[in-house]
Amino acid sequence: MKTRNKFFIGGTVIIGIIIAFSIQELQEKTIFFYTPAEILATPSKFENKTLRIGALVQTGSVIWNAKGIQLSFNITENGKEFIPVFFNGSKPDLFREGQGVVVEGKMNGEKFEATQLLVKHSEEYRVEDKHSKNKENYYKSIKFQ
Amino acid sequence: MKKLVLFLEWGSISGLLVCGLWIFLLTPLEINQGFPQKIMYLHVPSVISTYLAFFVVFVYSIIYLWKRELIFDQIAKSSAEVGLVFCSLVLVTGAIWGRPTWGTYWVWWDVRLVSTLLLFLIFVGYFLLRKAINDKDKEARLAAVLGIIGCLDIPIIHKSIEWAKGRTLHQPTTFLKVENEQINPSISDVLINPLTFSIIFMLSLYTYLLLLRYQNTKYEEKINELISKTLN
Repeated sequence: MKTRNKFFIGGTVIIGIIIAFSIQELQEKTIFFYTPAEILATPSKFENKTLRIGALVQTGSVIWNAKGIQLSFNITENGKEFIPVFFNGSKPDLFREGQGVVVEGKMNGEKFEATQLLVKHSEEYRVEDKHSKNKENYYKSIKFQ
Repeated sequence: MKKLVLFLEWGSISGLLVCGLWIFLLTPLEINQGFPQKIMYLHVPSVISTYLAFFVVFVYSIIYLWKRELIFDQIAKSSAEVGLVFCSLVLVTGAIWGRPTWGTYWVWWDVRLVSTLLLFLIFVGYFLLRKAINDKDKEARLAAVLGIIGCLDIPIIHKSIEWAKGRTLHQPTTFLKVENEQINPSISDVLINPLTFSIIFMLSLYTYLLLLRYQNTKYEEKINELISKTLN
């Protein structure tokens, strides 16, 4: 057997093994994130596993303790099913009710203990509408009188 | 040629400076993000310049493999060099923009971030490959193949957000957003106008750098010829 052929066969085997291993790893680790519905459908599957959940912050659920730097809120997709999230850390600037977020952490019983809180932002870029701003100011000025 | 290079140099640099003044002094703040949104005017033009630079690599690599003349390889190489600079600018500005908005410089599970890093690494490998080979024709041939393969990552970067179906951190496209089968950018006119001009001037900066680099490779050749003559 020529040396060249040996290299070719050996190389193919090595690359094959690397690809097989990486696909296996990728399937386990790179699920980008789950949704609350998927977690709530089979909660036992996600016990004691580090995972990411992407959803919207439920309106009216945000409790921010500025002294203790503790943040708690519910994440939801449809407003019906939600998961309470606890996060020890500062509140990101763009964190708002109704905003898309991705939390990373572990499920602890019913609630989710987040170690990282990321904020998704939309692809919309808008500036303040001067007309509506003027109108707002106008109404404010009436109120005060 | 020299006049064109000089024109592009001064045109693009002064144009970008004027855009900078326009962006910081005359453009209002975006409602949701505020000041951090301004880095978009550097990030997006760099992205488009990166795409163009590597597309030029793709085209000239194919032409080289077809015609086998070293001039096409030199154009591809020059464009790859400039493209790599713009690509690193994309990664750096993206990370800086990500910190105040997303809350992180980098995540390993975002499709667009990782595919862009892959593009960067492929073209770092492209130059390592070039350095490793002494024979000019062999270098050009192998580099052309790697250049073509590397450029196939660009459509992946562009389409990755759609393929991830929203399960990723980077937001979908703003400028090519399709609503009711029509392209309808979701950005206010006062924000998009300086961006359009930044893109135009960044692309002319790319063209200037490409021509400059291409001229330099010619000088390099001349110097190498002189050196080999004197040594012999």
